[in-house]
Parts: sequence; structure tokens; C-alpha cells
Amino acid sequence: MKARSTLRGARMQAWIFLAPALTLLAVFSFWPVAYGSLLAFTDYSLVREMSWVGLDNFRYIFDNEMFVTGLKNSLKFLLMVPVVQVGAIALAVLVNNQLPGIAWFRAAFYVPVVTTVSVVGIMWGFMFHEQGTLNYVFMQLRLANAPLGWLTDDTLALFAVMFVTLWRGLGWYMVMYLAALQAIPKDMQEAALLDGANRWQQFWRITVPMLRPTIMVCSILSVLAALKAYQEVDVLTQGGPMNSTFTALYYAYDQGLKHLKLPRALAASLVVSSICIAIALACLRYLKPRHR
Amino acid sequence: MKIRNLLAASMACVSMAAGLAAAAAPLPPATTANIEFWTFSMKPKFTPYFESVVRNYEAANPGVKIEWIDFPWDVIQTKLVTRIVAGTPPALVNLNVPWADEYARDQLLTPIDALLGPARANYIPGTLQDLTFKGKTYGFPMYSNVAVVAYNTQIFKAAGLSRGPATFDEQLAYARQIAERTGKAGIAPALSKIDGLFMWQGLSVIAGGKAVFNSPQHVALVQKLAATYKAGGLLKESLFAEDNFPAVVDAYKGGRLGMLLAPPTALKRIEADAKDIYAITGVAAAPLGPTGIADGGWLIHFAVPKGVAPALLPAVGKFALYLTGDASQLAFAKLASVFPTTVKAAADPFLLALPANAGAAEKAVAVGAVSMAHSHTLYVAGIDDYDELRRSLVKAVEAGVTGKQDVQQALDQAVAIWNKKLGKQKLAAPGPQR
Repeated sequence: MKARSTLRGARMQAWIFLAPALTLLAVFSFWPVAYGSLLAFTDYSLVREMSWVGLDNFRYIFDNEMFVTGLKNSLKFLLMVPVVQVGAIALAVLVNNQLPGIAWFRAAFYVPVVTTVSVVGIMWGFMFHEQGTLNYVFMQLRLANAPLGWLTDDTLALFAVMFVTLWRGLGWYMVMYLAALQAIPKDMQEAALLDGANRWQQFWRITVPMLRPTIMVCSILSVLAALKAYQEVDVLTQGGPMNSTFTALYYAYDQGLKHLKLPRALAASLVVSSICIAIALACLRYLKPRHR
Repeated sequence: MKIRNLLAASMACVSMAAGLAAAAAPLPPATTANIEFWTFSMKPKFTPYFESVVRNYEAANPGVKIEWIDFPWDVIQTKLVTRIVAGTPPALVNLNVPWADEYARDQLLTPIDALLGPARANYIPGTLQDLTFKGKTYGFPMYSNVAVVAYNTQIFKAAGLSRGPATFDEQLAYARQIAERTGKAGIAPALSKIDGLFMWQGLSVIAGGKAVFNSPQHVALVQKLAATYKAGGLLKESLFAEDNFPAVVDAYKGGRLGMLLAPPTALKRIEADAKDIYAITGVAAAPLGPTGIADGGWLIHFAVPKGVAPALLPAVGKFALYLTGDASQLAFAKLASVFPTTVKAAADPFLLALPANAGAAEKAVAVGAVSMAHSHTLYVAGIDDYDELRRSLVKAVEAGVTGKQDVQQALDQAVAIWNKKLGKQKLAAPGPQR
């Protein structure tokens, strides 16, 4: 009887501690998400009476070339996920060594994460410019005969924007992997060494399995970030050339905040969210560490 | 006890003195009207101008309180709609013509015909025409812009050219010649506004409720652009961007562009940032299209949003007439190198007479002032989701100009997209094109 009462007290205490954060989340996250989802099924306008329109907004966006192109481009952004993850693991392994000046390298790789997107836009705008650094390097190395239109050629622009997104995200995942690497008990690797495992075998048989929970979390976050990409698009190309860098979320931003067509923007956001949830669930299912 | 009495006596004296002073001082006039007006992108350069306007008006009109608020241009629309919905709109707001048209269609603006009264005759008729939708006027014109052709005389010399272009065709031919002889781009038209370019050239975008921009004339125009692009005559960077102006000005400042089609304000910027280029800049009037319209017309005005209290409207009208009157417009035009929209201010010698040591900026103002009579804001009005349709047109033109697709085929596809959408719309007044 006493144990049950103690348990109830502990639960009550937990709820009391959670209440402030939950209240804030409810007001500023759950309610807007729920209300926004509802508005996607209406013709809500700031200046007119609202009415229920069912799936009209969804029909509209799927009938819209820009949204469909945007959705395809958002899915193409997913190509970036394995590259980011492999790159981040490689970097983390690299900076996990105790080498002279390694702290400087760790900080340097993290700088893009804390650089504001507007600065990133200006900087990469210069780099990708027809007379910019990248073309200069390419032409000096004779990799190109004429300046490449990194942001003006519709076959290149999406990859240029994806590269900037990758560059911005790499440091963040590197830090997460670095933390995970440093949490791997040293004695496991020492035991493997005593058993005669070389460094490659240690990496595949000990490091990677131990990193698996982090790989799962980082992959999910990376998938979500890829599907939600729009800031880099806004500062670098505004969806051009020929809509080749238009993403689904950029469409939502464009419709909602530039043209105040909120129901369409919300419908597009709901579609993106649904895809995000589906892929996150798939990642959870297939990347979850298996305990034998 | 003595101290307490002394304190009480002192307090009484202070209170009495304060009372007497209050009685002697003149009472501040009771506020009869609070007028809030919004501008966009005027701070910080024009802060002293607007502060002096407010100060002078308040001094001349006791009891009227004026509040000036400036927003960045990309924020003002959201702020405005939010405030109209909240029932607390500003009394006056800076808008451009396409925005005013959209808001007037959504019944978010109040017609100002009654407030204009006899002052209507003070404004250049074309400016009021631009602000008249379905027979009602929706704004007090504040200033306008018109493009001039600024050209780099060194690049021109190297290309064997000696004067500014007189027609659009000549402009394209110049651009090709510049590219051929100097390897630099000749011009950088804003092709994201290709609809305006069509209209400027007398080619309709919509006729009878249907898109018609795939006619042989439209195709020929895009093919001319494609030929110039292929020859290297068009500046490639930001050619189809929503706002290519910063990139174009940068290219001109960097000596990478032969001709710059821009309002005189751009010359001021070049003067400040690239003195060497400014020193070798010549100026010519922008060619008039077959329509007789000068390119780059862009009228800014003050509109009265819906929801302004009817009792306040006479005071708002009076202030708007002051804010857009001859003296205010001329003072602002002198500061900003823009053009006044009142008949008297537009004829001021400041705009037309060239000083002896006139630089390119002064010449641009004088040249532009002559073109002002031909200035109109060119856009397609009255279409829902027009921006989305325009993008599909721009995409088609981009495909055609860059040689990714046959021009006729690209325009046909865009026309099909337009007509599918237009078919679902009830066009109240099909495309009153400006």
C-alpha cells in the first residue's frame, strides 16, 4: 500500500516537473501543428470567412508543377544523407586522434554549423560565381575550359545547393559521432587488439556496431534536414534556374509567407511532414540496434 | 516639530509654485487626429526627410499627431494585412501599383476619389490612371521612376559604338557587338519580368481570357533574346532571378557590363561605389517600345487601407495631399533622384536643367524627366495566382533563351499551363494589362 502511494507521489512529482515544458510545447508547438493541419483542409484567408474545402488544397498542390518539382527535388536531397553520414563518421574518427592542433580542426569543422545562413549564402555565392573561386580553381587545374554555371545551370544548381547543405551539416554530425566514439570503452578495443584484430577489423566489428544508435539518430535527423531544406535555396537560387532547385518546403515558404496562401502552404507542409514521419519510422525499424 | 512644520510649509510652496506655473503655461492642443503612415525601405537614408515632414505638418496643424513607421519592402505586405485584419490599419501606406491592384480586388483599400477633390488636377494624369481600378482611384501618387540607359563609354569605344541605343532591337544588336568585340556582356534585361517586356513591345500576354504569348511575334522576340544570349551579349548571372538588379549593378560597377538599364538612383549608387566606372559612364534615354511607353516605369503611392475610421478620413486626406504635394515631392525627388508625380514639381528646372559640371547621375535625372511623360507601370492585373503563372512563363523563356528547348515548344507548353489555370478562373476583367 505504501509502495503504491510512493509510486503515485513520484509520478505526480514527474508531471509537476514536466508541466512547465509541456505547457510551452502545447501552446507553441502542439496547438499550432494541430490548428495548422486543420487549416490545410480549409480556404483560410486573413481577410475572408473560412470554409471547409476537403482535399482541394492537396489536389491543387499535386496539380502544380512547382510543388511536384519541389517534391522530387526534396527527395533528391536524400541522396545527401549517406554522404553526410559517412563523411561525418570519417571526420569524427579523424579528429578523435590525439594529434597536435586537433582541437583547432574540431572547431574549424564546426564553424559552418554556427554560421548564419545569410552569411553562408553570400560566401558560397562568391565561391559559385562565374568568376568566383571555384571556377578559378577548376580552370587552373584544367578541369573546365569555361566557367561553370554552378548556380545558373539547371543541371548543376541542385547539386551545388546540396553541397552547401552538406557542408553546413557535416560539423554537427561529426560532433555527435565524436561524442559516441569517445563513449566506446577503451578496454573493448584493447581486448580486440589482444585477440589479434587489426585496425580495420576493430573499426568494423567494434566501432561501427557501437555507433549504431548514433548512426540511427543522425540518419533520421539528416533525412529530416534534407527533406526540410529551403534556407540554402532561398539565399542561393530562390528556386532557379528553371525551378531546378525548388524544394517542397521552399514551395510552402513561398506560398505561405510570400503570397499569404496559407492553406496551400500548410497542405504542402503536411505532405512533407508525412514523408518525414514515414522515413523516420522506416529508419527506426531498420537501423535500430539489434540485441541478441 | 519645527522641522516638520518647515517641511510642510516648503511642500505647500512647491505645490503652489507648480500650480501657478501650470496655469501660466499654454495648454497643449487637444489631439484631434492620430495619423500613422507607413513607408517601405526609406530608413535610414531618408529619415531626416520624413522626420522634417512630420515636424512641419504637426507644427502647421496643431492637434494632429503624425506617426511615421518604415518597414523593409518584403515585410510591409504581411504587416499591412495583419493590421487590417486586426482592425487597426495605418491611415496611409506606401504601395506599388501591382500591390494596390491586388489589394483593391480584395477590397482591402478605400477609394480616395472624395479625398482627392480638386487636387486631382495637380497630379500627372498617367499616374492617377495607373492607380484607377474599376473606375475608382486608390492612391495618392508619391514618386515614380523610369529607366535610362547608362553605358560604359570605354566598352562602347572598344566595340565601335558611339551613342546609346534607340530601339530594343538596336540594344540587342549592340549587346551582341559588345560581346563579339570585347568578350563582355552587353545588357542584362530582367527576364523574370518577361511579361512586362512583352507588353512594352506591344505584345499581349492575355487576350479574351486566354494566354496568347506563343504567337509568332512573341516567339520572334524570345528568339532574338536567345541569339543575343548565345552570342554572349546577355549577362548570364541572375538573368532570370526574381530580383537581378543587385547582380546587374555589381556587374556594371565591375566593368563587366556594357549597358545598364536602370533608374537614375542606380547611378548615384555607382557614383558612390565605383568612381572610375562612374567617370566613364554615358547616359541615354531608354528606348520607347512600339507602345510609346518608357521602360522601367514604377509608381509608388500612398493608399488608404480598409478600416480607417471614416471620421479620420478628411484629416488623412489633408495629410496625404501634403505628403504628396508639389513641395514634398520635389524635395524628395531631389534627395532620392526619383521623379515627382505632380505636374508642377515634374516641370521644375532642377529636373530638366543640367548644371555645367553635370555627372552621369544628373544627366540621368534630366534624361529620365523627359521620359516620365511616357512612364507607366507594366503588369498583368486581375489574375489569381498570377505569380505562379508568371513563373511558368519565365521557365519557358529561360528554356528557350538558354537553348534547352525550342522556343515555340516552350512557349506552347507554358500557354497550355496558363490556359488550364485561367479556364478555372472567372476573369472579371480579363487582364487589364498596363
